[in-house]
Amino acid sequence: MCGLLELEGLTRRYGRLTALDGLSFSVPAGQVVGFLGPNGAGKTTTMRAVFGLTDLDAGMVRWNGVPVGQAERRRFGYMPEERGLYPAMLVGEQLEYLGRLHGMSAIDAQTATTTWLERLGIADRAVSKVDALSHGNQQRVQLAAALVHGPEVLILDEPLAGLDPSGIDAIGDVLAEQARSGRCVLFSSHQLDQVEDLCESVTIIDHGRLVVTGKVDDLARSGPRRLVVRVEGDRDASWARGIAGVTISEVDGGAARLVLDQSMDSESVLRAAMAAGRVTEFVFERRRLSEVFREALG
Amino acid sequence: MSGGLIAAIVAVVLIVRVRARLRRRTTGQQHTRYGLGPFRSDVGLVAAREMRERFRGKIFRVGTLLILAVVAAAIVIPTLDKGKPQPQRVGIVGALSAPLRAAVVSSAKSVGTTVHLVSLDDEAAAYAGLRSGRLDLAIVEGRELVVNKPVGSTDTSTTAQFVLAVSKDLGVVEAVEAARLTPAQSSELARERALPVHSLQPGPARGAAHTTSLIGLILIFVMLSQYNTWILIGVMEEKSSRVIEVLLAAVRPIQLLTGKVLGIGLVAFVQASAIVVFALVLAKSVGSDLLHGTAPVVLLSTLAWLVLGYAFYCWVYAAAGSLAERQDQVQSLAFPLSLPIIFGYIMALTAASGNPSYFFKVLAYLPPTAPFAMPVLVGLGAVTWWEFLASALISIACTAGLARLATGIYRRAILRTGGRVKLRDVLTRAAG
Repeated sequence: MCGLLELEGLTRRYGRLTALDGLSFSVPAGQVVGFLGPNGAGKTTTMRAVFGLTDLDAGMVRWNGVPVGQAERRRFGYMPEERGLYPAMLVGEQLEYLGRLHGMSAIDAQTATTTWLERLGIADRAVSKVDALSHGNQQRVQLAAALVHGPEVLILDEPLAGLDPSGIDAIGDVLAEQARSGRCVLFSSHQLDQVEDLCESVTIIDHGRLVVTGKVDDLARSGPRRLVVRVEGDRDASWARGIAGVTISEVDGGAARLVLDQSMDSESVLRAAMAAGRVTEFVFERRRLSEVFREALG
Repeated sequence: MSGGLIAAIVAVVLIVRVRARLRRRTTGQQHTRYGLGPFRSDVGLVAAREMRERFRGKIFRVGTLLILAVVAAAIVIPTLDKGKPQPQRVGIVGALSAPLRAAVVSSAKSVGTTVHLVSLDDEAAAYAGLRSGRLDLAIVEGRELVVNKPVGSTDTSTTAQFVLAVSKDLGVVEAVEAARLTPAQSSELARERALPVHSLQPGPARGAAHTTSLIGLILIFVMLSQYNTWILIGVMEEKSSRVIEVLLAAVRPIQLLTGKVLGIGLVAFVQASAIVVFALVLAKSVGSDLLHGTAPVVLLSTLAWLVLGYAFYCWVYAAAGSLAERQDQVQSLAFPLSLPIIFGYIMALTAASGNPSYFFKVLAYLPPTAPFAMPVLVGLGAVTWWEFLASALISIACTAGLARLATGIYRRAILRTGGRVKLRDVLTRAAG
């Protein structure tokens, strides 16, 4: 399974407020893509636009080069930010119903329902009403509702919100598995550490505009190089002061965090450290996603 | 026709259940309650879900049983009363000739009752019997009739009708005796028959058709109120639970809304048909006159206008439901919508007991009130088939326009959350 979801020039205005301002990015198949941005950045509006739930003033969503319509959306799976299920309907029947609305046969919907309930560890709740479930189990049912019809594109709005660590692991495993099987997976979250663990790529937006997009590894390696250096007996990194092209960003318990200019090479730093004493730690440090996020948003 | 419909629906349900059971056996699945029926289209799927959830609901089951109980009482109780008429107790003071005695018995029979004659010693005993209620009528010396309370010509009680009949019949017998006719002449007079009177205009129907139209009127009012409220709440709940976003990611708003009104409408029609079939079978088995005359036509007309009335109002209630997000908002939206229903019902109840006014006949052509007015006119025999058809066509045409407007409102309002959506905002946005 391969494909590409393209969002091109999405624009949506609510009176004077511009929720989406010519937003363009793409979600390739086979990757888990994190969709990040501060509150009000336009993430939910973007996701709703993919499913035609928000009328666009301009722009287009394409799936494999084809403008997305009702037929394409039937092959997409959606988990909205504000969870949506029939509270008084039985879990199993609800999943079957949603599967059939996406074009599955009755038999296939039954089979997929059983499979996903077992996969998510809630097979024993098939004949429970949704409102009788715990928050975590409702979240699992909601995820199953997005997955039951075997979608080619999976779009999840804050799927990790309110989950305990085991719930996050379970959903993370499912998302990774879906991506490995060649599906497009786009999910939004405010939990940046978890996004970093789960995603290969991220897209960061603000004020309805694209700010940064790329692979997590590339973003972590981008920008000035950073070193953590520890010299035995040194408490304030005085050896590093005065080296041209090196900035001390932090000294914590004898470990100096250094930021190197483009012109500065790490060997010169190592030599300076060794001259000051025995070097017990010399590590290149990746940028955390949270730093990328903060830097991107200024 | 309704019986055949019910039988067909039951047969379809049984076939679907058997097929689902066989399928589960062959696939080895443990679920027993997931079958969604044979509907393949999106509208069918939505309608099937609505039907299944409603049929399962306690409100439907208890409500149906209550309505059936009320209908059974309305049919059976009058027949119990009719089957055991209370005899009219008549005190006789002095002599009462055989012809007069026969006339009293005949009078009782003519008003559908029997008579029990009691010989008394004097007038005082007769008056005491009348005052205590032991007697309904006293005949003194075959010439004077005495009752406890005055009897008017408009009094419809059995006793009043009996007293008036005795008064008239004894007067005739006395006149015949006074004329000193030959036995043959007296015999001819005894066989007197009223001449039939033919009218140029059809007269108002009474009796069975009248009763049936009243029952049908109540049925339409109860069912339109109940099922339209279901639509209003159902649409609101899909919006408030946010399941609407998941649904509309797969189907179009028009499909979802059509499936919902179709599903709930079919539940209403099945319930109404079951009630009508139950009423007909029960009426026939207990010998009720509910089936006599034009009553079956009135019943069919009731069913037809239940369908047309539901089709008209369901779109209005669905559009209103899409504006609301909470239960308290539903109350404030439902009240103004119920006003034309209540108005039509009250007007129809008033007209059902008398001659329909020109204004009422106009109401029978207006889609909001036609579901109540037209069946009553049919019950009164005051409408022709082409007038009925014209009203139905007007209702269908207006329903089509209303459905278009309602789906537009629904589409624009159903995804707008954060408080009650104002109709003006939706319409302004549509126009803009």
